Amino acid sequence: MQMMLLLPELTLCLMALVFFFCALGPCKTDTLNNLASGLSVLCLAAAVAGFNQEGMLFFQTYRVDLFSQLFKIILTLGLCLTIWSGPGLRGIEEQLRPEYYLFLAVATLGMTLLSSAHELLTILLSLEISAFALFAIIPFRHQTMRREHLEAAIKYFLFSAIATGLLLYGMSYVFGLGHSTLLGELAQTLPALMQNEPLAVVGMVMLLCGFFYKLALFPMHFLTPDVYEGSANETTSFIATLPKIAVIAIIIRLVSLVGAEAVSLTWILAVFAVMSMTIGNLCALVQNDLKRLLAYSSIAHAGYVTIGVLSVNQIGFAAAIYYMLGYLLMNLACFFVIYQLAAEGENLTFDHLHGLYRRAPLLACTLAAGAFGLTGIPPTIGFTGKFMVFTAALQRGHYTLVILAVINSAISAFYYLKLVRAAYRPMAESGESVTLSWSATSLGLFLLASIILAGILPQGIIALAQEAVNSMG
Amino acid sequence: MSFYRYLAEGLFFGFIVCIFAGAFISLRARQLMNSVLGLAISLLGVAGLFYHLGSPFLALMELLINIGVVCVVIAFGIMVGPKPDQAAEKRPPPKRNRMLAAGACLAASALLLWTVLNTPWNPAIARIGDFTIRHLGESLLHQFCLPFELISILLLVAIIGALIIARIGRYGARE
Repeated sequence: MQMMLLLPELTLCLMALVFFFCALGPCKTDTLNNLASGLSVLCLAAAVAGFNQEGMLFFQTYRVDLFSQLFKIILTLGLCLTIWSGPGLRGIEEQLRPEYYLFLAVATLGMTLLSSAHELLTILLSLEISAFALFAIIPFRHQTMRREHLEAAIKYFLFSAIATGLLLYGMSYVFGLGHSTLLGELAQTLPALMQNEPLAVVGMVMLLCGFFYKLALFPMHFLTPDVYEGSANETTSFIATLPKIAVIAIIIRLVSLVGAEAVSLTWILAVFAVMSMTIGNLCALVQNDLKRLLAYSSIAHAGYVTIGVLSVNQIGFAAAIYYMLGYLLMNLACFFVIYQLAAEGENLTFDHLHGLYRRAPLLACTLAAGAFGLTGIPPTIGFTGKFMVFTAALQRGHYTLVILAVINSAISAFYYLKLVRAAYRPMAESGESVTLSWSATSLGLFLLASIILAGILPQGIIALAQEAVNSMG
Repeated sequence: MSFYRYLAEGLFFGFIVCIFAGAFISLRARQLMNSVLGLAISLLGVAGLFYHLGSPFLALMELLINIGVVCVVIAFGIMVGPKPDQAAEKRPPPKRNRMLAAGACLAASALLLWTVLNTPWNPAIARIGDFTIRHLGESLLHQFCLPFELISILLLVAIIGALIIARIGRYGARE
């Protein structure tokens, strides 16, 4: 039954292989879309089927537990939703569509590997697999658009190389002090080292910085807006959500390894979180391009989720997982609206939203739910997520941090509500109404319902997340 | 005996200088070709370090693969590609930025140096000094088989990605 342990990964490999063969010959866009939609659902089903698996594979380098399996479900759900919310791939060069799906599958494969990786080299390579696939898909944007996508691609590539360098440098220190790359062995030596050796803290922070790049947390956030703006709408919705979830999984694993006694690491993370929230929210206030706005908002949200991580206890980690699930749904709701509105795959500004409540009531409603969620207004999942994260931090006595975070949430309300106001503002002349296909309608309803339902009834998800955190061991 | 030790130390620092010089040449070069040469020099130093640490096999592989193949392929790519009209434009960054960058780099290296020098580096209890091919092969295909396989996926992704990006360049040229 060893196959069952790797079922989600193998299904993703299958998806990649199918599109590899599609890329060899001519393939109609409709066929591709149907294939992608079907295979992504198959991947989700495989992840759900592998839910209760447990085991250690490949000589202690790969750990399958409830924690990793939960993340695999969230990741494949994200893949499913991104593929379903962007059918037709309007923003992508026509000849490159099979390869586009191929790289989406490979990137998700890298992320699922990352959520299970239990050894430093495996972690590095899984991260790189997902990163390489993303480098390739950013320049796939339609050539008739502005050429910003090339700039975005090269920036993403160069800064990712720097982040990987930093990560490896940090790893070399951790390896030099701990004498092992296996997380299982490091768990015995690292907690003491973190308290006695400043170098272990430096190494660990550098290691984490490599992941912060993907999470868009403060010291590594600067290129996020350019990348989001330059990429196609469907690419951005993928880059803005899935890598962050995978990275949170590995950050939780590493921070729990270090233990709650490493106060200096907690302090450093707290400073990063506060800076990230403040910079993200203040810069988002003046943006006009919707994707740029969501980029700065994602920088701010990276700060909030870090508060959950730095609490270093079961509740904090579970809150971070729940928060990331909410972040996925709310952001995908916003990107879904952007994709549906941008008929040619162009970038949207606030002006494009005017009169949306008449042109497409469902889209306006979904956008409002997403924006209210990202602000943290009840009864959405965003409110419950923030509430959980702040409660965890308060239990550890991080009062100042929580006060700063709450002030930041208040600032963020300004620009999120600006989105809602634009969507519900009447238009001078009657604009064209947006027609939605049945799949888009059902997807919009699903996102809307899940944002609200998961916010009202969080107990099940949080209990599951806590159990998952316990299973890390 | 001490003569050989000094020789070894001298060689070690020689390799370090080689790595840094290569990196510096690569950074400062205004022709792409000089950059590649800088990279090759730097990698030569890395190969020397492997030799110094007692693994001639890794040193040879570094020479063979990284210098012999990677650098030659890059050089080949540059020669086959269109001839650059002129050297890259040199635009010095504003003075304030340069000072800030230098300050940040110095602060970071001071922090690292201080912590590295103040750390008692305990040698591992059971760390075998066996860097033979047999041992390397065993650990690659046994203990580290998963990372080893992941490298092949990574290379595959990189190759397909590079091919497609090259093709995008073609479309751009045709339009």
